[in-house]
Amino acid sequence: MKTPSSSSSYVPRGHWLLQPLGISLLVSRRGLAAALVLLAMALMVSIGSLTVGTPTLSPAEVLAAAIGKGDPFNVFMLQELRMPRLAAGLLSGAALGVGGCLLQTLARNRLATPGIIGIDDGATAFAVASIVAIPTSLAPPMLALLGASTAAALAFGLGGGGARGYRFIVVGIAVGALFGALTNFMLARTSIDAANLAYPWTVGSLNARAPSTVIVLAVCLLLCLPVAKILGRQLQLLRFSDAVAIGLGTNVRRTRLTILVVTVLLTATAVAVAGPVGLISLVAPEMARHLTGHRGVPIINSALAGALLMTAADWVGRTAFAPVEIPVGVITAIVGGPYLLWILLREPRTPGT
Amino acid sequence: MTDDTRKGETDCCPTLGTRELALGYGERKVINGLTVEIPPGKVTAIVGPNGCGKSTLLAGLARILAPRSGAVLLDGRDINTLATREVAHKLALLPQDASAPDGLTVEELIQFGRQPYRSLMRQWSPKDAEIVQAALHATQLQALADRPLDALSGGQRQRAWIAMTVAQDTPLLLLDEPTSALDLGHQIEVLELVRELSRKGKTVVMVIHDLPSACRYADHLIAMHQGEIIAEGRPADIVTEALVERLYGVRCTLLHEPGTGAPLIVNPVSIRHTPE
Repeated sequence: MKTPSSSSSYVPRGHWLLQPLGISLLVSRRGLAAALVLLAMALMVSIGSLTVGTPTLSPAEVLAAAIGKGDPFNVFMLQELRMPRLAAGLLSGAALGVGGCLLQTLARNRLATPGIIGIDDGATAFAVASIVAIPTSLAPPMLALLGASTAAALAFGLGGGGARGYRFIVVGIAVGALFGALTNFMLARTSIDAANLAYPWTVGSLNARAPSTVIVLAVCLLLCLPVAKILGRQLQLLRFSDAVAIGLGTNVRRTRLTILVVTVLLTATAVAVAGPVGLISLVAPEMARHLTGHRGVPIINSALAGALLMTAADWVGRTAFAPVEIPVGVITAIVGGPYLLWILLREPRTPGT
Repeated sequence: MTDDTRKGETDCCPTLGTRELALGYGERKVINGLTVEIPPGKVTAIVGPNGCGKSTLLAGLARILAPRSGAVLLDGRDINTLATREVAHKLALLPQDASAPDGLTVEELIQFGRQPYRSLMRQWSPKDAEIVQAALHATQLQALADRPLDALSGGQRQRAWIAMTVAQDTPLLLLDEPTSALDLGHQIEVLELVRELSRKGKTVVMVIHDLPSACRYADHLIAMHQGEIIAEGRPADIVTEALVERLYGVRCTLLHEPGTGAPLIVNPVSIRHTPE
């Protein structure tokens, strides 16, 4: 048995204490290491997805093209196609990862991700409706947000106003199924052209997204990520029973509401960019927890893992069977499913989230 | 510079009480118009039969349950108008259904007791470390600091939870049935710890099933029946054969424990199932 610590536990085990400018910050060593690994991997995949393709460019050519120099075709290729696509992948992956991590913590259940609760389906259904059924002047992100909010409100409201236990999840699955059916119904009833136009919304793809949606997502992420990070400690307390969390000074109701709002915002804007790639919100937090250890609520690492997974899946989908492109949603399903199984099966004990 | 300095920093003896408090769940009213003062610096035990509202009262006192009407007063101010974080500096709670994330170690649990004092810009301080160590020491858990909670015995786990509330460094401590589901040895262990904490200046309120234990370890007894307080005071003064009969429907003989004078129940007979 380890000896009880007297001096070393001046700082909680496994953490560094940073004290710049009179403030004190606790940094989890394992969390930081995981973040660096994920960041390095995401960077590698990013470089890969900017260079490999038709045509394959050298890193030097990529750099030149990025600042508008070199072959005009390369410049167009990079600035108009690959860079926006990479940005869309990184941002939507990060948003879905964080949304998944937040909702899992809120519901204290690893199954409770936006994809499973039906938030993705709600966003998709509303967006598809705007394309094939009810023409509106609202931009797709707005509609996705409306749909996501509706689905979340339904799951939350019908689930008994709480987000605990299986009731919330079962109701959420039902809500998702309902919106899924609605989407299919609309697609079946409409002309083939309109259905084709709506198709990317239903499978998840980073192909040809309007730049404005990516900007909306970027702004949303910029606002929501710090909020999620600030909530981090309170989030940890939500993993205890409510009475304990309140006893330790957490405003449980306000924290829950904030989490729900942030999750809906992130998921909706991400779905507006990438479509319903629900598996990212399930796999990314799992991967982050796996790397970070099960103690905390890995917000930043979920974002990094999500960004990594999304860009990697898109890169594979785009290049593996070129010139045929496989939608990113299909790749995440093919790769993410087994990966999730592997993580779940190799774990000696189930972490409590 | 450990124990004494810290005790000096917390306000001496904040008061806790209720004014015309009504509590309930959904349609069901459990407590209606209850007014009570918790004596500062003492161990108060709330006793009564199942469903009498004792845990409900504790939940109300700890602001877990919002009042239908009336108020819980902490230092004379309505507890539900105060910031919950500020309340957490004065009042710690160990709920009955306390559950922690899997894999959490004893020391990590105790660190959560410092939560009300931590913020984004001040995540850890030497004082936090010192108090966590002191809490480990006070509950004699130093040797188990790195053990996961789920690897502990019931009594040890309960001590760890109490250690978390100790680390919260509050003058008031509320415990909901801290000894239920513990065997005799672990019950005594926990109750002696409670008494020890009270001697160090804490005001303790605990809900407890076992009347003899309540009499032995509490300075002040609140006896509840159907949502009302039917007797209140020093155990030796208020616990009578008539009170036991009224509370539990049990006819008994009361003896007094040698030494402490605490009332002991002998020859209990239920009057509920015997025909009149």
